[in-house]
Amino acid sequence: MVLLSLPKITFDDDHQTWHLSGNWSIRTISDIDWPDTQKLSHTVRLDCKKIQKMDSAGAYALIEWQKQLKTEGVEVELLGLCPEKTALYTLIANKLPKQNPEKTASERSLHSSLWNIGHEAYLKYLQFIGILTLIGDLLLTIYRNLGQTRRFHIDYILSNICQTGIMALPILGMLSFLIGIVLAYQMGLQLETYGANIFIAYLSGMAIFREFGPLITAIIVAGRTSSAFTAQIGSMKLNEEIDALETMGLSPTEFLVAPKVIGLILIFPLLIFWSDLFGVMGSMFMSKTMLHIGYHDFLMRLKESVGLKQMMLGLYKAPTFAVLIALVGCFQGFQVGNSADSVGHQTTKSVVQALFLIIITDAVYSIIYSALDL
Amino acid sequence: MPENIIEISNLDNRFGKQWVHHQLNLDIKKGEILAIIGGSGSGKTTLIRSVLMLQEPTAGTIKVFGQNIRHISHNAAQRIRSRWGMLFQHSALFSALNVRENIMFPMQELTDLNLKQMEDLANLKIALVGLPLHAGDMYPAELSGGMQRRAAAARSIAMDPELLFLDEPTTGLDPISARQFDELIVLLRNSLNLSIVIISHDVNSLERCTDRVAFIGEGKVLAVEPIMQLKKNNHPLIKDYFSKI
Repeated sequence: MVLLSLPKITFDDDHQTWHLSGNWSIRTISDIDWPDTQKLSHTVRLDCKKIQKMDSAGAYALIEWQKQLKTEGVEVELLGLCPEKTALYTLIANKLPKQNPEKTASERSLHSSLWNIGHEAYLKYLQFIGILTLIGDLLLTIYRNLGQTRRFHIDYILSNICQTGIMALPILGMLSFLIGIVLAYQMGLQLETYGANIFIAYLSGMAIFREFGPLITAIIVAGRTSSAFTAQIGSMKLNEEIDALETMGLSPTEFLVAPKVIGLILIFPLLIFWSDLFGVMGSMFMSKTMLHIGYHDFLMRLKESVGLKQMMLGLYKAPTFAVLIALVGCFQGFQVGNSADSVGHQTTKSVVQALFLIIITDAVYSIIYSALDL
Repeated sequence: MPENIIEISNLDNRFGKQWVHHQLNLDIKKGEILAIIGGSGSGKTTLIRSVLMLQEPTAGTIKVFGQNIRHISHNAAQRIRSRWGMLFQHSALFSALNVRENIMFPMQELTDLNLKQMEDLANLKIALVGLPLHAGDMYPAELSGGMQRRAAAARSIAMDPELLFLDEPTTGLDPISARQFDELIVLLRNSLNLSIVIISHDVNSLERCTDRVAFIGEGKVLAVEPIMQLKKNNHPLIKDYFSKI
């Protein structure tokens, strides 16, 4: 391989000539030592005979330098370019845009903050309309397909149940167990000082059944599933697969949204139950080791003071959470634009929105329960 | 006689039990436009991917710019990569960047040019491939198929490569765009002194812009000759290929 030398510009005083040499290419033109042109006479000759190699970037650099000299009032004469390089030089000189297009400053910065607030509100409104449309479409699809079991795609529903439910069992069980331990430990510290050890069953049971079980489940499912739904539908949209479904006369809602929503509604109560189970196991374990309450006593106490009713209050949250997570995930998937970037963007958004809505909904449930004295 | 820019000798490629290439030989001369044709599944893309170091061949030697790319240091490989450009079949423009940023991307990463120089050069490349200047501000998804192909071509010549690979550049373009694209290829070769390797099925396009055409079949290069001669070749596979068009 020929070692490429750096481009060089040397001045020959006698002939008022700049000798250009070396390799004028895209990798080297940033290293050019542009000479001081202050003390130049009116005409100057550029001798290019010794330029070894010149690519379009090199030609560009040469042209730009000539332009600069011209603005300083120096006449330039170009010498010694071989025919090939002359051809390239002329092509570049002709093709080089005379002036760069004006920068289209990002439109948003031109507007006042008031405009921005309005714009954001409008976008949120559009999003609201969008999710409403999706809900309507989903209900319509289900209504239309009532009585046609084939249209409910049992296999898709089952695979969704497996993906979103069964696969989540280990992580859900472990986290719930740990939360149970932490809960019992924190409450046990307080109870111990009052000698009210046995209340641990009541307190941790209430907390786990009513709040922690449903919430932990919802958080894990939102993180795992809502993002997966968005990424799947988003990539399908990017790949024009959604359009393909539409043109076949098949409804994307029927194939992609309905099985996910139905699957999640079916599996969610079971997931909460699973989380309850492991949460109680965790606090039971901690009660035994820290407060010396036997498993039997703990469970008897749990049954008497908490009972099935509190567990059911937690389980009632399941359908709402399930629908929320599935809808947000699917909706954000359909919102994906036409770049790989927007898949990531919408996936983040779907998880954040799902979590946000879950916590709001949970608060609404608390209000309803307290209004009903449950 | 011009030197060879790529020399492929005794190349073997095997996927599982299936031979794609067996004892394949091909030389590509400096400054020529060479097309590679052959039936579907004959291993055209595999061949290009082997040369581009995207895929390790089973056996054989590939020399690019006189260096054997199968036994080469990381740095030497990077130097070679900086001397070639590739135009992918589906353009492969970065969807998150607009056209000008797409062209400037390799410059930003690989050179020390300042922003104005990069923008000027990007605009120059946009003009060279025949796109209007304002296309530089558009994102790939906003461009038509033909414009995407041109934008991708502009990106592939961003670093002024000496060697350019084009994977089915005119497939999916209308006849007018295809002809303009062929003219562009010839213009680039003539003005920027490139060597160009094209994978193509478009016989009209081959007639317009190639110097030689290599026909791949049975895992070998069956013939390398100008398209007019190749059409009269008596090898049954080649005859069959052209009779169906």
